[in-house]
Amino acid sequence: MPNIIVLIGRVLDPSGIVFNRRAGRLFVNREEYLLQPADRCALEAALRIKEAGRLKGGPDAQVVALPRTLLPDDDVLRQAVATGADRAIYLAGQVANVDDALMARALAVVVERLGGADLVLTGATTLDTGQGQLGPRLAEALGWPQIVDAWHVEAVDGRVRAVRKEKDGFVAVEADLPAVVTVLPGVLKPRYPDGARLINVYRGVKEMANALERWDVADLMEAQALKPLIERRGQEFPPERERGARVSGTPAQMAQTVAEALGQRVRR
Amino acid sequence: MADMSYLDLLMAQQEEVSEAEGGGGGIWVVADVVNGAVAPVTLEALGAARTLAGALGAYVYGVVLGEGVADLSATLYQAGADGVRVVDHPALAQFALEPYLKVLSDLFEAEKPEVILFGATPAGQELAARLAQRIGGGLIEHVTSASLDESTRTVQGAFPIYGGEYFEVVACPEARPQFLTIEPGAFSAPFLDPYRKGEPKMLEVEPGEPAVHVVGPAGGFEPLTVPLAQAPVIVAAGRQAGDFELVKQLAARLGAQVAGDRGARDAGWIGAEQIVDVRGVTVAPQVYVAVGIRGDTFHNAAMEGARFIVAIHPDPAAPIFQVADLCLEAEPKDVLPALLEALE
Amino acid sequence: MDFTFSPEHVALRRMIREFAETEIAPIAAEFDREHKVPHDVLRKLGQIGLLGVCFPQEYGGMGAGEAGYCILMEELGRVCTSTATNVGAHIGIGAMAIHLDGSEEQKRKYLVPLARGEKMAAFGLTESNAGSDAANIRTRAVREGDSWILDGGKVYITNGGYAQIITVMAVTDPALGARGGVTAFIVETDWPGFKVAREEDKMGIRGTSTAELVFEELRVPHENVLGKVGEGFVTFMRSLDMGRLTLGAAGLGGAQAALEWSVRWAKTRKQFGAELALKQSVQWMIANLATEIEALRSMVYRVAWMVDNHQPFAQLAAMCKMYGSEVASRAIDVALQIHGGLGYTRDFPIERAFRDARIAEIFEGTNEIQRIVIATNIFRDYGVRIRA
Repeated sequence: MPNIIVLIGRVLDPSGIVFNRRAGRLFVNREEYLLQPADRCALEAALRIKEAGRLKGGPDAQVVALPRTLLPDDDVLRQAVATGADRAIYLAGQVANVDDALMARALAVVVERLGGADLVLTGATTLDTGQGQLGPRLAEALGWPQIVDAWHVEAVDGRVRAVRKEKDGFVAVEADLPAVVTVLPGVLKPRYPDGARLINVYRGVKEMANALERWDVADLMEAQALKPLIERRGQEFPPERERGARVSGTPAQMAQTVAEALGQRVRR
Repeated sequence: MADMSYLDLLMAQQEEVSEAEGGGGGIWVVADVVNGAVAPVTLEALGAARTLAGALGAYVYGVVLGEGVADLSATLYQAGADGVRVVDHPALAQFALEPYLKVLSDLFEAEKPEVILFGATPAGQELAARLAQRIGGGLIEHVTSASLDESTRTVQGAFPIYGGEYFEVVACPEARPQFLTIEPGAFSAPFLDPYRKGEPKMLEVEPGEPAVHVVGPAGGFEPLTVPLAQAPVIVAAGRQAGDFELVKQLAARLGAQVAGDRGARDAGWIGAEQIVDVRGVTVAPQVYVAVGIRGDTFHNAAMEGARFIVAIHPDPAAPIFQVADLCLEAEPKDVLPALLEALE
Repeated sequence: MDFTFSPEHVALRRMIREFAETEIAPIAAEFDREHKVPHDVLRKLGQIGLLGVCFPQEYGGMGAGEAGYCILMEELGRVCTSTATNVGAHIGIGAMAIHLDGSEEQKRKYLVPLARGEKMAAFGLTESNAGSDAANIRTRAVREGDSWILDGGKVYITNGGYAQIITVMAVTDPALGARGGVTAFIVETDWPGFKVAREEDKMGIRGTSTAELVFEELRVPHENVLGKVGEGFVTFMRSLDMGRLTLGAAGLGGAQAALEWSVRWAKTRKQFGAELALKQSVQWMIANLATEIEALRSMVYRVAWMVDNHQPFAQLAAMCKMYGSEVASRAIDVALQIHGGLGYTRDFPIERAFRDARIAEIFEGTNEIQRIVIATNIFRDYGVRIRA
C-alpha cells in the first residue's frame, strides 16, 4: 500500500501559444507541456513528508504518482518519478472529453486496487482551466476528509496538519488520516530531478526499470460508466482591444467608470 | 404632497412571494454569508439565476446556512428568490465542510434542483465540488457568463482559461443537478426590490461533525512577495502623478504593487527596482494603472503586455494614451480622490 | 538517420533550461559586475548531478554521454557564459583527463567527488611561454623516491583560484620534449608548495577565476601520475579534443540567446512608424544568423553522437570549436547592432555577452590552431604531411 499518492497533470506552455482575438482562436506555435505548477508543489510536499519520516514506513514511505487526467503518453509520470516519486501508474485509455467527475471515480478505483493510501495530494488549481474540483471529488469518492488550498502540509502522528490562509492570517488545521489535501501553487519551491535518476527513468534501466506501470482504464470501470458529465461547447474570445478609448465627464464620473472597470477585473 | 402619498400608497402594495406547491426542480442559490450579511457574489448569482429562470420557466430558490441568519432571507427575496430555505443551527455558525455538506445533500436529495449556483469563494468551491460528486452532477467552476440551451434545459457556462486569455464554454447536458460556481464581479447584482417579501422555510437539521479541526493560528508564514515582473495588479506613478500618497492608497485599495517610470524614481517616490522600463523591469499584469505617466517608448514597451491599462494624464497627446484601454485626460489630483471614493 | 534527441536528452534539456532560467539568468549580471565566481550556482548544479553529466554512473556521474554534456553547455551558454566556462573547465578538461586516463583508484578517489560536485577541477597546461605552443612548457617535475617534486607555474588557468583538484602538465624529461617528456599529475591544491599567485582582471567572463599558479617544491605522490610517465601530452591532447566540442555547444547557446534577444527587440522596437522586424535589412540579419545557428547545431550534436558512438571526432571537434566561437561572436555583434544604443548600455545584457563571447576564439586552442588541426587532418587523409 502506498503511503502518499500524488495526482499530477500537465498544461500547454502558454508562452508557446498565441491567442488571436480577431481570428477567435488560439495558435499553438510551440507545443510544449509543463507540469501543472500546483501539482509540482503537491509532489514536493509529498516528498518532504516522506523525508520527514513521520508516516508509517518512516523515510521508506512510498510516494506514488497518478495522472490527473488521461494522457496520450507517460512523460508526466516519468518526470514525477525522476523528481523522486517511487512509483507511477500510467492510465491508458481513450475517452473523449475526460472530465474531473469521471477521473475522480477512476482514481478512486485505482486507490482501492493499490490497497488504499495514507494521503492523497494534488494541486489546488490548474494553470489553464483554473478548476480545483478534482481533489474534493476524489475525497468524496474515497469518503475521506479534505483540506483545500494548503500552504503547508505535514504528517503528525496519524493525522495530517495543514496551514491555510484565512482573511485575517494563517491558520493550522488537522484531520485524521487518510485524507485528501490540495496544495496551492507558488508556495513550496519544487525540487529539480536528480540527474542520474532522470536518465535512468527515461531509459527504463537499473532501479527505475519497474518504476512505471501501465494500467488500462477500461479495466477499472464498466464501459458505460466511462462517461464524462461535461461536454465542450466551444470557445469565446474577448473582444479585440480598443486602445485609446477616452473616458469623458467630470472627474467624479470618470472615476465611476474606472472603478466599475477595475471592480470587474481586480479581486480584492 | 398629495401625489407623493398616493404614490406611496401604490408602492406600498407589497409583493408577497409564494412558492408553487409540489416543488422540485428550480434554480437554487447557496448563499455565502460574510460579516453577518449576504455576500455580493450571492446577489450576483441570484441575478444570474433570475435570468436563467425566466428562460427555463423555473423558480429561483435561495438557501442560507449559519447561525442567527434567519433575517438574511429578506435580502434573498429582495434580490429575486421565489423561495428561501433557512438552516439556523449553532453547528453551522462557521463554515465547516461536513455539516454544511450533510444539510445541503439532504435538502437537494429532497428538492431535486435542476441547477445549483454557488459563489466561487473558497467555501463555495469546496462545497460545490464535494456535493456534485455526492449527488451526481457536473460542475463548472469560476463561471463568468452563462447562456441557456433551452431544448435540453442545459446551462452553458463560460470560464476563463489562462487567466482570461479566452473563455471555454461547457455544459452538463444530462446529469442533474447542474452545478456552477459564479465568479465574483462577473455578473451584475440585481436590483433589490424592497417591496418583494416572502416567508422562508426554516429547516430542522442534524448537521453532523466536521472532519477538519482548527488547531490555532500558524506562525512563521508570510504572504508571498511576488516580484514586480509577475505582479497581477500594478499602480504606477509618473512625474505628473501629483500626490504620491494618493497613488499608494490606490495601490493599497486594489491590492496592487507600486511602480513607476524614471520620473517617479527621480522624484524619489520609488526605488530603482520598481522602474517599469525596458532598461528596468518588464511587467505583464492583469491590470496596470498609469497615474501621471507620459509614456515614452521605453516605458510603454515594458508594460504593453498588460491585459488592461488605465491611464490618467493631463496632456491629451501623451503617448501613454496610444496603449491604454481607458484614457482619462485629466489631472490625477482631480481624479484620484474620486476614484478612491468610488472604490469603497 | 535519426535526427531526434532521445527521450532522456529531451527531458534533460528541459530540466537544465528551467534551472538556467530560474537559478542563473536573474542573477547573471551580478557575477560580471562584481567579478565573482557563481559558487552557489555551481553547488546547486552539483547537487542534482550536472557537474558529472557525461561521466559514468558508477563513478558518481549522470551517464548522459557527450550529447548530455553538449546540452548542458548549450543551455548554460544561453544564459551565462561565465557559468558555462566554470562548468566547462571543471568537467570538460579538469575531470575529463582523470576520466580518460585515470586508474581505477584515481577515479574512485578523484573522479567520484568531482562528478558529484563535491570538489571542483581545473586543468593546468598553459604557461607564459607556452600558449598555442603547448609543448614549450617549462614546469619541471623531478622524481624523488616515491614522489615527484614540481617547480614552475601556470598562467590563465580557468577555475585555478578555487579548484581543489588540478591536472597539471609538467616536464619530466627535457631531452624528450613533448613526445615522451611530459607527464600529467593530479595535484590537490591544499598541498604545501601550491600557491595561487594572482587573479586576472579580464574583459569578459568576469564570473570566472583565471589564475596564475605557482609551484614551489610541490610534492606529488607517484600514485598521482595520471596515465604513464612521459605520456602526458597524449592525455592533454585527448582531453582538449573532448573539451573543444562542448565549447562549440556553449557558443551555440550564446548565439541562440543573441538570436532570441534580437527577435524580441525587433518585434518591440518601433521606428519610422513600424517595428524593426518589418525592415528587410533586419530580417536578413536575423535570417543569416538563424541559418548559421542551425548549421552549428547540426554539427555539434552530430559530433556528440560520434563521440558517444566511439568514432573518430578530433577534426570535427576542432571545426565545432572554431565555427561555434565565430558564430557566437557574429551573433552577438548582430544583436548589438539591432539593439542600437540601448544594447551598448549596461542596462541590457548585450554588452556583457559581447565581452564574454570574444574569448572563445582565443582560449581552449586559438582558432588559428584549430584551423591547423583541421588542415593537417584533411591533408593527411590525402596522404600529405603538412606539419612537422
